[in-house]
Amino acid sequence: MSPFENKTTCKDIAPLLVFYVCEEVSEDERESIRMHLANCRACSEQLAEEKAFHATLLSAPQSADELDGSGILLSQCRSELEEALDDLSAPPLQEHWRPFGWLRGWMALRPVWSGALLVLVGGLAGVQLVPWLEHNSGNTGQALNVRARQPLTPDQLSNMVVSGLTVSPSPGSDSPTVRLQLSAEQPMVLTGRADEPNVRQVLTYMVENSERFDAGVRLDCLDALKAAVRDQQVRLALLNAARKDQNPAVRMKALEALRDTAGEDDVRQVLVDALEHDSNPGVRVEAVNLLVGSLDNRPADADAAPETPEAAPAPAPGEDASFEHVVRVLQELQRRDPNPYVRLRSAAALRQIGPREMQ
Amino acid sequence: MQLPRWALAVADENGCWGSSNAALASVTSLANLDERTLVAKAQAGNRVAFEELVRRFDRDVLRLALNLMKRPEDARDVYQEAFLKVYRNLHRFRFECSFYTWLYRIVTNVCLDHLRRRQARPEDQAPELHPNHREEGITDFFERQREHRPTLDPERSMMGQEIKARIAHALERLSPRERVVFEMKHYQGLKLRAIGDALGTTEETVKNSLFRATRKLRNELGGLR
Repeated sequence: MSPFENKTTCKDIAPLLVFYVCEEVSEDERESIRMHLANCRACSEQLAEEKAFHATLLSAPQSADELDGSGILLSQCRSELEEALDDLSAPPLQEHWRPFGWLRGWMALRPVWSGALLVLVGGLAGVQLVPWLEHNSGNTGQALNVRARQPLTPDQLSNMVVSGLTVSPSPGSDSPTVRLQLSAEQPMVLTGRADEPNVRQVLTYMVENSERFDAGVRLDCLDALKAAVRDQQVRLALLNAARKDQNPAVRMKALEALRDTAGEDDVRQVLVDALEHDSNPGVRVEAVNLLVGSLDNRPADADAAPETPEAAPAPAPGEDASFEHVVRVLQELQRRDPNPYVRLRSAAALRQIGPREMQ
Repeated sequence: MQLPRWALAVADENGCWGSSNAALASVTSLANLDERTLVAKAQAGNRVAFEELVRRFDRDVLRLALNLMKRPEDARDVYQEAFLKVYRNLHRFRFECSFYTWLYRIVTNVCLDHLRRRQARPEDQAPELHPNHREEGITDFFERQREHRPTLDPERSMMGQEIKARIAHALERLSPRERVVFEMKHYQGLKLRAIGDALGTTEETVKNSLFRATRKLRNELGGLR
């Protein structure tokens, strides 16, 4: 007999009998139980009771047999599970947005009140809404009306397209009123007097960038800028236009715009340049006229001097040089200009300023 | 194992809708697949594979639920809840144990929850139909058909019902865990180790639970032979 067998007592074996019956003991335990049972009557009787109890439990009808012996419950469970899985697999339903659902519900329940409400709303819309819309569309349209308060940005200037330009006289002012329809980042209408800085800025820009704007637009710009010729920026733009604009009408118009300042050196130089280099006879004639006019208006004119010659201011040496240069250019034109009218006009101009030339 | 007719008609290999002979053959072939392959297919979103898995195990699951809950309504709830949990969490199954063990872990947890809720609030539960009073309350057609089965011996049935009623009464005295262990051991035929795996506990703990359950039942059913 092994040492283990010697130690097994009823107290050790009894708790194992439950598991021995349902075959949940180890091989060692099973062997020791068998050996103990062979010599222990009490434990053998307890084992018999355990087996009988176990058999009774197993033989008793189970709830599952009684409650679903036919398998109907199982079928029901399967069907319900499939439906639940369908619900899980299905994409979530998108609820349609139903605006004014409460109003529709209210109207469905109260047809008379609904009819009256609709008539009232329709009447209000007809009386108030339509005139309001007309009024607003007249004011705003598609274009933004700018009262020339904010200067245009360089981007706006570089992107703008002129769709209309109107120059009209301003009552009580030399500076005309300009209405300029532009397509920049958004359509806009620029209105204001030509001497207002922002209007002047746009007009000057258009004169300076002759390649981007139509000659007719440039002519209108020059017409409007004539009153602002004392502004340095405008004056530079006009001088440049007179020298370089590819359109002779624009050059001529630029010279005309400079009429009031023809006696000043930079303008006179432009006039002389026009006489010597401009290919268009009309421009040259205009330059002759302006030069003669400027010479006629000279306050230092000796012929128009007061009776006391001593009191008359002596012409500056540079002024005389300039005058002489003009005379030489005119003489040159009189002799060599290909255009007879220019030659004639130059001769007339020389005669007109003859007394001065004699000095 | 029989698949529902609609599944055979409309499911293709990927569990998508459609109908063709190829799909029918594919679905039928799922019945021959081993458990691991079926689980893998179900994890990949194959609905038909999942349903095949359900059909392999749901009879035992419902049986366990019926024996534990004693009421068809509760058993149906357990069945549905358990398999929906399996469906939602199948992607978490990593084949570290058998699918059967994993499934039973979910089922027993659901059963334990129901039993504990019932224990905590017995008034919320519908009264259990007493076997002797069932005939009076039977209104369902299918329930009535069951009584006409020729295999039922009225005398044996009477005795069995009496024993069953006493056992059921005695089982009510057990704790939810003891009931589950006792049921899984004696009526599901699982080994203690498998029960421990399903309950997420050790074999020794399960052994103690079974021992206590048996002692209590023997005390309750002292004269039962």
